Amino acid sequence: MTQSAFTKPPTGVWSIMAPVKGRIAGAIALAAFSAIASLGSLLMIPQIAVELLSESPDPAVIWRWLGLAAVLVAIAFTSRLASSAISHLAAFKLEVILRTAMAEHLAQVPLGYVVTHGSGAIKKWMQDDVQSLHAFVADTTPLIGQVYTIPTLSLVIVLITDWRMAIATFALLPLGMALIQLTMRDYAEVRESTDRANEEINGVIIEFVQGMQVVRTFDDGSSSFARFQKSLNAFTQSLRDWNAKTKLPGSLATLLFEPLPLLIPIIAVGTWLMAQGSLTFPQLLVFLLLAPRLCGAFKPILTLSHFVNQSKAGAMRIGSVLAEPALPQPTHPKSPQDASVTLSHVTFLYGDLANGDRTALQDVSLTIPAGTVTALVGASGAGKTTLARLIPRFWDVTEGAIKVGDVDVRQMTSETLMSWVSFVFQDTFLLHDTIKDNIKLGRPNATDQEVEAAARAAQAHEFILALPNGYDTIAGERGSRLSGGQRQRITIARAILQDNPIVVLDEATAFADPENAALIQDAIAALTRHKTLIVIAHRLPSVINADQIAVLDRGRLVELGDHDKLVAFGGVYSRLWKRYQEAQNWELRGSASTAPTEK
Amino acid sequence: MLKTYRRMMVVAGSYKPQLQKSFLLSVIASILQGIIFALFFPLLSALMSQPIDAQPAWILLGLFGLLVVVEGAIRWEELDFSWTTSLDVAHETRLRLGEKLRQIPLQDLNQRRSGDLNVVMSGNVSELVMWIGGLVTLLIRTVVVPLTTVLFTLLIDWRLAVALLIFFPLAVPIYRQMRSRAQASFRKASDANVDAASRVVEYAQGLPVLRANNQVGERSQRLRAALEGQRIAQQQGQRLVSVPVATMATLVEIGILVIIGLGVLFILQGTLSTPALFALIVIAMRFTEPVSQLIGLTSIFDLMEVSLKRIEAVLAIPALPAPPSPTALTRFDIHFDQVYFRYDNQTQWALQDVSFQAPARSLTALVGPSGSGKTTISRLISRYADIQAGTICIGDVNIRDVDPAHLMHSISVVFQDVYLFDDTILNNIRMAKPDATDTEVESVARAANCHDFIARLPQGYNTRIGDIGGALSGGERQRLSIARAMLKNAPIVLLDEPTSALDTESEVAVQDAINQLVVDKTVIVIAHRLSTIAAADLILVLEEGKVIERGSHRELLASQGRYATMWEIQQRAQDWRVAA
Repeated sequence: MTQSAFTKPPTGVWSIMAPVKGRIAGAIALAAFSAIASLGSLLMIPQIAVELLSESPDPAVIWRWLGLAAVLVAIAFTSRLASSAISHLAAFKLEVILRTAMAEHLAQVPLGYVVTHGSGAIKKWMQDDVQSLHAFVADTTPLIGQVYTIPTLSLVIVLITDWRMAIATFALLPLGMALIQLTMRDYAEVRESTDRANEEINGVIIEFVQGMQVVRTFDDGSSSFARFQKSLNAFTQSLRDWNAKTKLPGSLATLLFEPLPLLIPIIAVGTWLMAQGSLTFPQLLVFLLLAPRLCGAFKPILTLSHFVNQSKAGAMRIGSVLAEPALPQPTHPKSPQDASVTLSHVTFLYGDLANGDRTALQDVSLTIPAGTVTALVGASGAGKTTLARLIPRFWDVTEGAIKVGDVDVRQMTSETLMSWVSFVFQDTFLLHDTIKDNIKLGRPNATDQEVEAAARAAQAHEFILALPNGYDTIAGERGSRLSGGQRQRITIARAILQDNPIVVLDEATAFADPENAALIQDAIAALTRHKTLIVIAHRLPSVINADQIAVLDRGRLVELGDHDKLVAFGGVYSRLWKRYQEAQNWELRGSASTAPTEK
Repeated sequence: MLKTYRRMMVVAGSYKPQLQKSFLLSVIASILQGIIFALFFPLLSALMSQPIDAQPAWILLGLFGLLVVVEGAIRWEELDFSWTTSLDVAHETRLRLGEKLRQIPLQDLNQRRSGDLNVVMSGNVSELVMWIGGLVTLLIRTVVVPLTTVLFTLLIDWRLAVALLIFFPLAVPIYRQMRSRAQASFRKASDANVDAASRVVEYAQGLPVLRANNQVGERSQRLRAALEGQRIAQQQGQRLVSVPVATMATLVEIGILVIIGLGVLFILQGTLSTPALFALIVIAMRFTEPVSQLIGLTSIFDLMEVSLKRIEAVLAIPALPAPPSPTALTRFDIHFDQVYFRYDNQTQWALQDVSFQAPARSLTALVGPSGSGKTTISRLISRYADIQAGTICIGDVNIRDVDPAHLMHSISVVFQDVYLFDDTILNNIRMAKPDATDTEVESVARAANCHDFIARLPQGYNTRIGDIGGALSGGERQRLSIARAMLKNAPIVLLDEPTSALDTESEVAVQDAINQLVVDKTVIVIAHRLSTIAAADLILVLEEGKVIERGSHRELLASQGRYATMWEIQQRAQDWRVAA
């Protein structure tokens, strides 16, 4: 169950609040209630005036009104506090729900989606976008209760009190509302160009910061600084244009929605009516007290609109993540018969923007018997990484089929597939946890002896023992306290412990230093013994002994055979082999040019 | 308060007068508003006299209207800052930050994650500037308007004036005091936030691995626990924050009730006039509004404060000290003399007592395990940071006495990672020499083995890097960066493992390009494949920041030391097979 919290993916700020809608409704209701009580307490003041202005004021009556006012204030205050507490707690709860929903959903979408968007984007969705909802859910929803209640109720009260004064009070309101609407109106084209300018400036800033090292070494900084400056100018200009459009209504709204301008017509009409004797002072007092409260009700909306817009953008992104279709799971799952892998007529298209709609693999058929070694070779972009990633179902094939042990990978549950295929990545990922737990990740119920045996096989036991707390040492964030080679060996130990019959290995492109390289090679040898091994080879010599070498070129399988056969064939592979030998012999020439004889 | 004011003025930069003007206008407008409110005293007493005193009421109303218009006009001027000038301030602040990034030592730059600096330059600047105008004027109003009115109330009834003074203007500092205390304990709670955030990052980064190990979704206990912990901490934090808010609001609301009660008492005693009391009530009601607005905006205040701090932190990084009278470089031999260097915030030396001489046009290779100091040496030549002891000279000139731009001009660097700008290929190469002709660019592109693949691109040299993105292979990108370095034609070339991230196919082409680049240059190279540097004039073997062996390939092999061992291991590793 991926979207336990949602029946369908949310599309906006309101539908994203669905899991906490009861609480939000409660918060809005309490806020409205608070507004009513607060207006009620205001009305006690004219009552006191009536009593004070009467022939013989009765202190007991006055104290009673004042006491009632105090009670109403207390109610208003408590319910406002409760409203805000509820909306905040709801917002916190919603954050957990959304993050969990996304974490679960991301566990079920094609891994390709995860890999293409990258951890930076995922972090942004789960952390920042969810965070951006807070302003709306926690702070704005109570205001909504207030914004609707206060004007409606005020209208009723002032109409009952005196209709002529009511007209004077509400005369300015439509004008003010119109101005607010005008200010907040979505100038679609201006907003789009500002968004574009904003994106561009963000891009340029990122480039300027990341490229600074290069900027410093390849120019005096003037040309890239000029680019930065140019985009910055465009950005500021587009903001100026936007502001120019909204400045007049915006400023007018800010000024008009002050209590003072609104009080002028009220006092004027009031003075006139009182001079005529058709309005009493307590009645005037009702208007003097209510009118400003009316303005105050709208003001926060203006201030908060910026946050609300941010929330909207965040909600849209969260919605689109949750709307990403999950990898289809079989209704009648099957289990593989053996550790062989078969690709039959596999065609694969990247159906997303990042890679364009290009064909990554075209009609590839390949049989990998259990217990054999197959190397995938080819220039970068030839499709070898894509092919390897299709086996653990990073994506599903567009046409054709991939079978593990004679069963289509789409007919297996993710759990079954993952318990047959290990994937050893170039990128070594360690949890911020103990070394032991990091190794046990592959098999949580493994004993300490098993963990140690795996670590020994991965040539990791010795350096682990040398760590301050041995196997209980916490790997620094992203394993930063360990060297690259050490991290690599821990991830290999993890795969050894997992002991899956099929291993897909992305051969590390560069070994950190010669000594480490030798140890890693031993570790890999231990991992792959008696396994079906599929290796993405970046360097040729490591695959010389492979049972078969599959040479890919622009998404097609062009050559297949062992090393000797392919070298003799004189095709793509033999050319690569020649290049490799040349590269090995590269020597930078020193001034003396005394090339050594020993090699 | 005053400190925040001064810090704001620093950020405002050359727009300081405008910001000051906007603050001053705000003070004037607020005083006017206070005076307008004070007009309620005579106005209401005119309206409540029996029979009603219409004429003075109209006069007062006229005055009221006039002052409202004047106040509005002043506020209009003041608003100009937040609508117009604030954009200029943001613009200028970003330029200042950008300028700063060009001057600070690269070490300081590298210590900050680039994401962090992005946030400062885009997000923090917007946050600060967006609110710098509006929020401060709101604060001014909350304090100045009531104070002015209290002064006038003193003339009417000193007892009520004191009551007003106790409940309103004073409430703000009390509130801030309480809040800052709450925040201290709040900070503890925010650790949970950090923890949850890093768990989310970990989950995001580890998703492929976690999925491969069936540790996702419901089974991801670590993430779930962290999220739950975060929620509890947030709730605690909310409680802590809501206490001062509640206190403040209570003070204000109770204040009004107390004033009404006191007023009624005084009226019944006959020591206060009825109109004065109601005028005061109408006025006091007005004070609650800015106060409650201010409460709602305190989180924004915090945001602004944080932004301000982060911007200041970047602006405060000292620039590389530039020499007062720079010396020009004429010769390009490199000398390290007893160099000691330690990275910021590190206790261990990155380099200890490193001395060597690289004659002009010679090839010097740096060899050793990762972390031994190879990259540090190459960085220090381009004055990545200043060393703690010893000297680094180019020719006879200490690099500290060279203008940083001139020093950079003399050095080309080819890194393992290539950075290309989202611009045309032509401009990416030409940035090394802005006045280069198209023919010059093409000829270096040919020399760096780039011309052929560039010519195959849809728009040739005018293809934008961003439009083809991943379509360029690592080798092609590296060759572009070498073409750039060739065009620069600097006498010193630093090569930091330029081919180690490439596949076989690309490697040969890049090697050819490098061969062209290094002709007649002083070259410092870091290479993990020892056969590459076997012909170097000088090989330095480094370990833990010290030079442990030096000499030519032949000498080092003969001495049977560390280098000889490494050579042997590497020869063996080359014969390694996956399926042994």
